[in-house]
Amino acid sequence: MAEIVFEHVGKSFGDTKVIENLDLTIEDGKFTVLVGSSGCGKTTLLRMIAGIGPATYGRILMDGKDITHQPPEKRDIAMVFQNYAIYPTMSVRENIEFGLKNKKVPKPERDRRIAEYAEIVGMTPYLDRKPSDLSGGQRQRIALARAMVKKPSVFLMDEPLSNLDAKLRAAMRVELIELQRRLGTTFVYVTHDQIEAMSMADTIVLMEKGEIQQIGCPEEIYHEPANIFSAQFIGTPPMNIMELGEGIRYGVRPESIVMEAQKLDNMALYRKGHIITREMLGAELQFKVRLSDGGTIMVRSPREDLAEDTDVWIMAKARHIHFFGADGIRLGHGGPQGLLDKLGGLNE
Amino acid sequence: MTNVADIEKQALREARRIKHRSWLTSYLMVLPAMAFLIAFVLYPTAAMLIMSLYYGNAKNPFKSWRGLQNYNMRADFWVALRNTAAYTGMALVLVMILSILFAQWMYKARKLNNVAQTLFFTPHLVAGVSAGFIWSWLMSSQPYGLFNTVLQPIYQILNVPSIRWLDSSDTAMFSIVLMNTWKSVGYYCLIIMSAMKSIPTEIYESARLDGSSSIKTFFKITIPMISPQLFFLLITITTGSFKVFDSVRIMTNGGPGDATRVLSMYIYDYAFQRNNTLGYACAAGIIMMLIMVAVTVFDFAFVEKKVHYQ
Repeated sequence: MAEIVFEHVGKSFGDTKVIENLDLTIEDGKFTVLVGSSGCGKTTLLRMIAGIGPATYGRILMDGKDITHQPPEKRDIAMVFQNYAIYPTMSVRENIEFGLKNKKVPKPERDRRIAEYAEIVGMTPYLDRKPSDLSGGQRQRIALARAMVKKPSVFLMDEPLSNLDAKLRAAMRVELIELQRRLGTTFVYVTHDQIEAMSMADTIVLMEKGEIQQIGCPEEIYHEPANIFSAQFIGTPPMNIMELGEGIRYGVRPESIVMEAQKLDNMALYRKGHIITREMLGAELQFKVRLSDGGTIMVRSPREDLAEDTDVWIMAKARHIHFFGADGIRLGHGGPQGLLDKLGGLNE
Repeated sequence: MTNVADIEKQALREARRIKHRSWLTSYLMVLPAMAFLIAFVLYPTAAMLIMSLYYGNAKNPFKSWRGLQNYNMRADFWVALRNTAAYTGMALVLVMILSILFAQWMYKARKLNNVAQTLFFTPHLVAGVSAGFIWSWLMSSQPYGLFNTVLQPIYQILNVPSIRWLDSSDTAMFSIVLMNTWKSVGYYCLIIMSAMKSIPTEIYESARLDGSSSIKTFFKITIPMISPQLFFLLITITTGSFKVFDSVRIMTNGGPGDATRVLSMYIYDYAFQRNNTLGYACAAGIIMMLIMVAVTVFDFAFVEKKVHYQ
């Protein structure tokens, strides 16, 4: 169990400033996901916690104790790497045992723990195999067992699922969530995949260019995006953003748009559109629609009867419309009434 | 009208023609290599084997039949064999350890290391004969011998006689090993370093998180992961050292006494410097070859088990 606090932390690689003056608290016992596009500084933060990429300035606290200059082995953390970083020349057992041996854990205790955690990750039959004989998913499990067996206060995971195929990734996602619930340990998980972030996190920390864009639970991030970046990062396809004039922009998620051949009542937004493309995704369809002003938007809808190259009405309810100021910051749901009225003025 | 059988037959003929042509092409492609192998390896080996059964000299190798009598080795053969083994052992240990240490040192990307790499590698480009000459001057006991001139103050402080390098039977062999180590360490270091660079940094980071000390990381992770290259070094250094000739010939010519007489010099001596001992020299050559084969087979049978291939 541990809470991690970053205080005015910065990191530069040579002249490149990756992170500047960052403050962040990672809650004890929670599953926190650092998410953002590549180069946003999320892995840099994780490596600071691990102690393998020290901060250029600032302090990092773990349960109130300053660990900024503590060597990694003294930090009571374990890390799972993207490429697993399994020791290829050691057997599965030796891989799991290595950290314990270095900690001078006595042999009977080591054996007991190896048996326990090999069982948890389902690798018991493979303990004496070499990693090169195992599949990607199995190697991932070794990496997990190797991390868990140390019983750390904090688990750090750097895109641990990105090398797995889609099916296995989905299964491992569920397993990791269960694991975190069972262990009750602080998990810090780095990913660029918004779906992973949404499905696994208690708290999402959304980052871009070394700055935190938003911190919140998945529901908050989805329903109340702090800014345009946040609104467009989460959701596939990203939120449609359109100009309202005077620097104000408004946005509607593709799945919140109501698209019909006829005009419906009680909507806040009415636009004429023309379907350009139509993709069948299974439960839903994804449409690309050209608006009368020439702009295009994406729409997700279950309406299989709407064909390509037809005219439709694009509509949305007031509560699904987000307004953003000139600085990209969200002005609240539905926005001030004045903005809704202004939008109404543009309706067709 | 063409019937089906005809078409089938034609297709079959065509397939056979293509197969025949690709067979021919593949053999034509390996032909040059095969020709060289036969002309410069298989034929000389066979010739040596046959000559080793005769009494004769370079002009007339087949003066009379001696059978296996040439294989009754003279006492000085064992001296040469022992010298060769000593040389190989020293060279192997020294070159291996130094190239691993230098590689570990130069592994990190620093400006100094680029310079150091070039400096270490340059001796490899120097011809063996030239290197031998230079080092015999450096090690000379004459007033122009650089090493002893530089070391003189130290000898005086320690109150010890100066090292006689190539002039003493105790140090001559080691001096030659030293020269050849200087000459080859940069090359082997480069091989080891590239192997080290191929180890993912995450593995080292993971080891740090696992609380592994740097010495433990070196022996438990670095060494096993570069073991294929170390095995390659073992084989090439062993076989290369066993055949050492030019440096010994230049620096000591086998002396002082017989202290640095190695097998290839011994064979050269008996083949071309003496009367009618070509057959005996060939027999020594065959034995040397068999020893090298045996050592290599041993390496592959027992040492290779410890090698971790990815």
